[in-house]
Amino acid sequence: MNFFVDAFAFILDPANWAGDAGIGARLARHLALTGVSVLLAAVVAVPLGLLIGHTGRGRAAVIGITGAARALPTFGVLILFVLLGIQFGQGLSEGPVIAVLVILAIPPLLAGAYAGVEAVDDVTVDAARAQGMTEWQLLTRVELPLALPLLAGGLRSATLQVVATATIAAYVAQGGLGRYFIEGIQTRDYVRAVIGAILVALLALLLDGILAVVQRLVTPRGVSRGATRTTGTTARRPSRSSGATRAPVTEG
Amino acid sequence: MFTRTMRRVAPAAAALGLGALVLTGCAGGGDPLDPGTGGDDAGTITIGNQAFPESELLAQIYGQYLEANGYEVAYEAGIGSRETFITALQDGSIDLIPDYAGNALIYANPDAEETSAEDVEAALPAALEPLGLAVTAAAPGEDSDALVVTREFASANGLETIGDLAPIAASVTLGANTEFEPRWRDGLAEVYGFEGWAFKAIDDYGGPGTLADLLADAIQVADIYTTTPSIAANDLVVLEDDLDLFAAQNIIPLLRADVLTPELEGLLDAVSAKITTEVLLELNAEMASDAKPSAASVAAGWLASVGLL
Amino acid sequence: MSWLWANLDLVLRLTAEHAVLAGIPIVVGFAASLPLGWLASRSRVARGILLTAFNVVYTIPALALFVVLPGVLGTRILDPLNVVVALTLYAMAMMLRGAVDAFGSVSGDVLASATAQGFSGAGRFWTVQLPLAGPVLLANLRVVSVSTVSLLSVAALVGSGGLGYLFTNGYQRYFVDEIVIGIVFTVLLALVFDAILVLAGRVLLPWSRRRTATPRAVVEGRAA
Repeated sequence: MNFFVDAFAFILDPANWAGDAGIGARLARHLALTGVSVLLAAVVAVPLGLLIGHTGRGRAAVIGITGAARALPTFGVLILFVLLGIQFGQGLSEGPVIAVLVILAIPPLLAGAYAGVEAVDDVTVDAARAQGMTEWQLLTRVELPLALPLLAGGLRSATLQVVATATIAAYVAQGGLGRYFIEGIQTRDYVRAVIGAILVALLALLLDGILAVVQRLVTPRGVSRGATRTTGTTARRPSRSSGATRAPVTEG
Repeated sequence: MFTRTMRRVAPAAAALGLGALVLTGCAGGGDPLDPGTGGDDAGTITIGNQAFPESELLAQIYGQYLEANGYEVAYEAGIGSRETFITALQDGSIDLIPDYAGNALIYANPDAEETSAEDVEAALPAALEPLGLAVTAAAPGEDSDALVVTREFASANGLETIGDLAPIAASVTLGANTEFEPRWRDGLAEVYGFEGWAFKAIDDYGGPGTLADLLADAIQVADIYTTTPSIAANDLVVLEDDLDLFAAQNIIPLLRADVLTPELEGLLDAVSAKITTEVLLELNAEMASDAKPSAASVAAGWLASVGLL
Repeated sequence: MSWLWANLDLVLRLTAEHAVLAGIPIVVGFAASLPLGWLASRSRVARGILLTAFNVVYTIPALALFVVLPGVLGTRILDPLNVVVALTLYAMAMMLRGAVDAFGSVSGDVLASATAQGFSGAGRFWTVQLPLAGPVLLANLRVVSVSTVSLLSVAALVGSGGLGYLFTNGYQRYFVDEIVIGIVFTVLLALVFDAILVLAGRVLLPWSRRRTATPRAVVEGRAA
C-alpha cells in the first residue's frame, strides 16, 4: 500500500504539474481528446437517435450495428488505423485515437437519444399532434426536452467510457494520462501506474459528478427520471422501453 | 416447483459445463492459466521473448533446438522491456530469454565500462550473479541500439557520428522507447556532449511508428536496432558510435542461475555459435517479406539449413 | 487470406486462449454480481457502498490493473491470473448495475404474493426473483460478455492478450492482414459467446421471448 502513499505524494507536489511531461499537460491533452471525441460522436449519434426514436423505424438495424461495433476490439482497431495511417505516409497522429474513441462513444449516445424519445408517453405525443403541431415542432418542443434526462444519461456514460479508454492514446505516442501506465510498464515502476490510475479515476469521477448535476438540471420539473424500482403500475399503454427510463444507477 | 426449475436448469448447466471443458481442452498446448513450472523440471524450460520480431525469432531458434534435443519447451511471447523480463526470470515466470550482452551488463551494473564484445562477455557472469542470473556463450551476431537519421537530414547537417549531433541538439527531437531516456540521456551528454534535446516516447522497439515519425520529420533522430530491415529499405543513416557509448550487443542467452546445467549450456552454445549478424539481417528481412512467415517457421527453416535440425 | 491458412494453428490456438481468458471472468463476474446485486437492491446502504466502490474500479484503465495486480496479489508478473482477475473485476462492475436494476424490477406485488404463498427468503430468490430478473440479467450479461472479449486484447501489452498478439505482431511487421484477422476472430468469438448466452436464455427463460428493454450495460460498457 506504499504505492498509494507515494502516488498521492507525487500528485500533490506542485512541481510535478508543470512542464511538457507534467500532470497538467497530460491532463489537458487527455481532456482534449475526450472532449473532441464525445463531441464528434454526439454530432453523429444524437440526431440519428432522435430520428429513430421519433419515427420508431430503424431501431433494430441500429441496435444491430451498435452491437457489432461494440464487439470490435478497441485495441485492435486502433492499431489497424495507426498502421493504415502509416502506410499512407502519415506519421503518428491523434486521428486514429479520436476515430476509435468516437466509435466507442456512439452507442451510449445513440441509445440515450432514442430511449429518451421512446420514453415520452404516447399520450403526450398524441396530445401534441392533436394540437396541430408539425412533426418537427413535436420533436423539438415536446420530445427533445422530455428526452433530455436520458440523453444526458447517455452523454454521461459516453464520457465515462471515453475518459477511461482515452488512455490508449499513450500506446501510440499521443500523450494523455495513459503515459503514466506505459511508463509504469516499461520501467517496471508500480508507483507510476498507480499515479495514472488515480488521476484517471479522479478525472472520471469529477466529470461524472458534473454531468450528474447537468442531468438533474435538464430534467424538466414534473418529469420523473424513473426509479430503480417499478411497482408494476405504469401508464395504461406501457411505453415501449420501460427499462430504459430508469436513471443510471451511478448516483450510488 | 423448485424441482421443475432444476430439471430445466440441470441439462443446460451440464451443456455449458461440457462446453467449457471442451474449450479448455482445445486450449491444447499448455493450459493458459499455468504460468510454467520454472526450474524444477530438468526437462522443461520456458523461453520468453520481447515484443519485436527478432526477439521472437531467437526464442524460437533456441527453443526448437532444445525441443529437438529432448526438452519440453513453453513460450511466453511479448513480455516487454528488460525491467519486466528480468523480474520474470527471477520470479520463475520464464527460465530463459535471448538478450543483448551490452545492455544486459549495463542493467546489472550501471557503472560498467566494458564496451568490446570480449570484455562485456567476460564481465557479465560476475555482474549477474547477485541477481541470480547467468549467461552462456555469446553469439558472434550483434544487434545494437543505433541513433538513426534520414539521408537528407544527415547531408543537410553533415552528420556522420553521434557527436555530430551535439551542435544542433536544441532543434532535435529523439524518438525511442520510454526506457531509453532514463538509460541513456546522461551517457549521451557525458560521452558525446549531446544534450538539451527533446524526447518523444514511441514504444514500439524502433518499429513502424518510430520509422513513420522519422520519415515525417516529427522526430529527427530515432533509436532503431541495427538489424532492422527498415534501415536499409529506407536508406537511413546510422550515426557512428565511435566513442563506444553503446557497448557490444551480441546475442546472449540469459537464464536464471538455477536452470543452468552443463548439458543445457552445451546445447545453447551450439546454436549461438552459428548466429552471425548476417544471419540476423537475412532472417529479419525474411520475416518482413510479403509472405509474412511466422517466426517459428523461419526459425525451423534456418535450423534445418545449418544442420542443427 | 493465404496467410491465414498457413498460420491457422497459431490463430486457432490464440482463439482458444482468448476464449478461456475471457470466458472465466464472464462466468465468475456474473456469479459474483448476483448476490451483490441482490443485496444492493434491498438495502440503500449496501447499494451506495457497492456501486461507489465498483464505480471506482470501473474507471481504472485496464492496463493499470494489469501492472499493479501482481504487486497486490503476490502473483508472478506474467501470470495470466492477473489478467483474469482484472477482467473479472470489470465484469462485476458492469454487471452489478444491471443486477441491481434486474432485481429492483421485480414488482413488489409479485414478491408479496410469493411470501403470502409461503416461500422463504432463499426459495423466493431462486424460484421467483431470479427467474423474473432473468431477462434483464441476461441482456446485461450479453453486453458484459462482448466487452470482456474485446477488452482482453489490451492484455497483449503485458503478454497475455489471446488474439491481441496478432495486433502487436501484425503492427511490428507492417502486416495489416494479420491485424484484420485478429479483429475478425475476436468478433467471431464474441458472437459465439453471445449465441451461447441467447441459447441459454431460451432454455432457462422460455417465457421471455418478447423483446426486452435497452439493458443498462449497453449504455455503460467499457473497452479499455
